[in-house]
Amino acid sequence: MTNAALHVARTGLDAQNSRMQVIANNLANVNTTGFKRDRANFESLDYQQITAPGAPSSDANKYATGLNLGTGVKIMATSRIDTQGSLQTTDRSLDLAISGQGFFQVTKPDGTAAYTRDGSFSTNADGTVVTSDGLPLQPQIQIPANATNVTIATDGTVSAALQGQSNTTTLGKIQTVRFQNASGLQAESGDLLIETAASGAPQVGDAGTDGRGTITQGSLEASNVDITQELVDMIETQRAYEVNSKVIKGTDEMLQTANQQL
Amino acid sequence: MDRLIYSSLAAMRGAMGRQATIANNLANVNTSGFRGEIANAQSLWIRGQELNGRATVSDEVKGADMSKGTAAQTGRDLDVSLNGDAMLTVQAADGSEAYTRRGDLQQTNSGLLTTGDGSIVMGENGPITLPAADTVSITADGTIYIVPQGGDPQAPQQVDKLKLVSPGGSTIAKGLDGLFRNTAGGTLPSDPDARVSSRSLEGSNVSASSALVDMIDTSRAWDSQIKMLTTAQELDKSSADLMQLPQ
Repeated sequence: MTNAALHVARTGLDAQNSRMQVIANNLANVNTTGFKRDRANFESLDYQQITAPGAPSSDANKYATGLNLGTGVKIMATSRIDTQGSLQTTDRSLDLAISGQGFFQVTKPDGTAAYTRDGSFSTNADGTVVTSDGLPLQPQIQIPANATNVTIATDGTVSAALQGQSNTTTLGKIQTVRFQNASGLQAESGDLLIETAASGAPQVGDAGTDGRGTITQGSLEASNVDITQELVDMIETQRAYEVNSKVIKGTDEMLQTANQQL
Repeated sequence: MDRLIYSSLAAMRGAMGRQATIANNLANVNTSGFRGEIANAQSLWIRGQELNGRATVSDEVKGADMSKGTAAQTGRDLDVSLNGDAMLTVQAADGSEAYTRRGDLQQTNSGLLTTGDGSIVMGENGPITLPAADTVSITADGTIYIVPQGGDPQAPQQVDKLKLVSPGGSTIAKGLDGLFRNTAGGTLPSDPDARVSSRSLEGSNVSASSALVDMIDTSRAWDSQIKMLTTAQELDKSSADLMQLPQ
């Protein structure tokens, strides 16, 4: 009881520290293709009831109000803010951006699926379309070595002109995936997101259908981190950290006075 | 012998409780929709046989400061800030109906709408579940519209309406889970005039500067009680000296 204030202020320092980490990660990813900023959500911890309202204060009287002491704060969750990042034209034929909701589906080395908005694709030695980390796009698209002028339509249809042939050939279709609760996806390294119980099952389909966004060829989606917003959040976090450390100092001084003078 | 030191002890306990309340307010300076607590001290007279000779202090948290926090634009479709004294209705973990100013709404995997701290948001027809949707928007009166998956963006469909309440004449108090309830028991009726602003979020209403001033005030009150205790100690000592027989 005597040092409750110290512990409460410590929860404040911890929470602000975690928020700073979220902000630092957002700022670190300001140039990461397809990155979505996170926001830290605070939640106050449960209250401790010292005196219940209505409890007897004497034989005849009752406390009109209770004494409920709060026990601090914690970071409950981070929410990914899924607003669209701006599209930047690159003129590379395998740079793809999704306008609207949805993700590209890729296969990880262990065979499981992962999802990403980072559309900087390339081809590997056998012509398979892969991410910059070498993960193949799902369903797989093969681009033959003699293909020229690869075009990708807004619905994901990949076509190319093959040398020696007069007509363009369709090579496959890139499908996109959406989720009931995309903010429930778990972030992994390499700009990948994976399905969780909170995100719901992936709904695979053609780009531009059922609310899936359309594909823009020759563009990349920039990170949606807004530096000004992050800097303002950072100052707010710093100030909150400062006041919580002042509480610790203040409470310590109270205890110090008691220890020295009594 | 005078029980001065017990009065001081009660005051010091009160000051430490107040300090804990201030610490909790400041810890929640960034909690969305948080309402700071007001610590209040009242004197408690101890009835003597002949006269009311001694007052001690009973410290209590009087209630929450219901002033508004600053709302900021977030751009997130499911963030709402409440105008005036309107509150969102939620289902607390114990199943009872409670109220909150926290408007960072989230969806679970089944589409159930909750607040950022996991309380289920109540609509006019009970808990709200959003179907798979391309876009979700919330109008000023709390009506939730969606464009269903693959639906016509020009023809949004109404899903439900947030149950918005205004305490009005009823007294509401914060419970141990940080949610507000009607102290008289029962639930508050929905208020058709209550308004929300979507894509914005209300911050905590804790003012760091006034909380710091309160903290200084509290620690000075603590110091003066210590002064009382040392004075009592000296008084005690001098009376003991008086009693001492000359050698």
